Amino acid sequence: MTGRSRRLPFAIATAALAALACAAAACSTKSSDPAARAPAGEAVGQSRNGASRLGDLSPFRAIAADVSSMVGSGDLPAAKARIKDLEVQWDAAEAALKPRAPADWHRLDKAIDRALAALRAPTPNAADSRQAVGDLLQTMDNRGPAKP
Amino acid sequence: MNGTLGPRRLQWLNKVPEVTLSFWVVKVLSTTVGETGADFLAVNAGWGQTVTRVAMGSLLALALVIQLRTRRYTPWIYWLAVVLVSIVGTQVTDLLTDGLGVGLYVSTPAFAIALVAVFATWYALERTLSIQSIVTPRRELFYWATVLFTFALGTAAGDLATEALGLGFKLGTVVFGALILVAYVAWRRGANAVATFWIAYVLTRPFGAALGDLLTQARSYGGLGLGAMWTSALFLAVIVGFVALAHANVGSREDRQIAG
Repeated sequence: MTGRSRRLPFAIATAALAALACAAAACSTKSSDPAARAPAGEAVGQSRNGASRLGDLSPFRAIAADVSSMVGSGDLPAAKARIKDLEVQWDAAEAALKPRAPADWHRLDKAIDRALAALRAPTPNAADSRQAVGDLLQTMDNRGPAKP
Repeated sequence: MNGTLGPRRLQWLNKVPEVTLSFWVVKVLSTTVGETGADFLAVNAGWGQTVTRVAMGSLLALALVIQLRTRRYTPWIYWLAVVLVSIVGTQVTDLLTDGLGVGLYVSTPAFAIALVAVFATWYALERTLSIQSIVTPRRELFYWATVLFTFALGTAAGDLATEALGLGFKLGTVVFGALILVAYVAWRRGANAVATFWIAYVLTRPFGAALGDLLTQARSYGGLGLGAMWTSALFLAVIVGFVALAHANVGSREDRQIAG
């Protein structure tokens, strides 16, 4: 036990991290709420009775719609390339979106996983891909497939 | 009995760092880098979860072998092992939750019990839990087993706070920061040093994750919008700086230990 020589740095470290955390939390509070509450302009990413509990999903839905039209026209390689944008953006936003509605987040996350798996299969199948991407769009629109 | 070399030359010096300002800063930052790094490899670099798990698990095994074979505290090996434990600890929890369907309500208490079991075995065999005298291979194995379980527990408890309480990263940073402060105050008031150290060690996992999210998340989500790449680069630079500094200081510490 070396007494103060150990305690002082711990105090400084704790205080510095706490101060940084509080400052960052305080200065970011203002910008947070609009995204959580703002109703999106279109009927995407919303339940019928208002905004999705996950907030505005329109950026993600737009990519999924791209993927869907590529799958529809039979261009599976393009769809596979485009869905990576969804994977990356969805993953990047996890920390912000998940706490808003964990159950909804997991449901959508699984749907994205299934679409990724279909398009990344060794020999992608057009019918499976169409089904998985269709389910994904439905899940985003809160009219998800029956499976849990 | 050790001939002309003298006994001290054949013994290990304490294999782990002293608990100082830089220790806690690097611990928190390596937590964040661990999580964003694994995510980057799995998603952005396109390795996928399985390849990332195997690669990080192998790297951790390699780093721990190197760490266990050294005879003295070597900052870059020690902190490399901590970063990799951070990654693998997170992956273990994710694999249990997402891959095997083990709920966080089960894994969180299970990790807590496992941690207590490690401490109980450690104490039964060594009669001490001191982190100031990690000087034998057995003690060091206990130390790293504890580190691994604290990361797994910290990950599960942090995720549970998100899932069950909807605790986001802004409030999470404040809540976990405040809990660390409570552990610090308890220690100052005479609570057991080893217990408060490991409690703080667990808490820095969700605290580091929340702090990282605060910096990386977009401004529209309430973060500072630095992005994962710049945040990781910034944190990594600070870690490298502190570790380089630790290397410069290690010599003088060994002189003190040998003299003392």
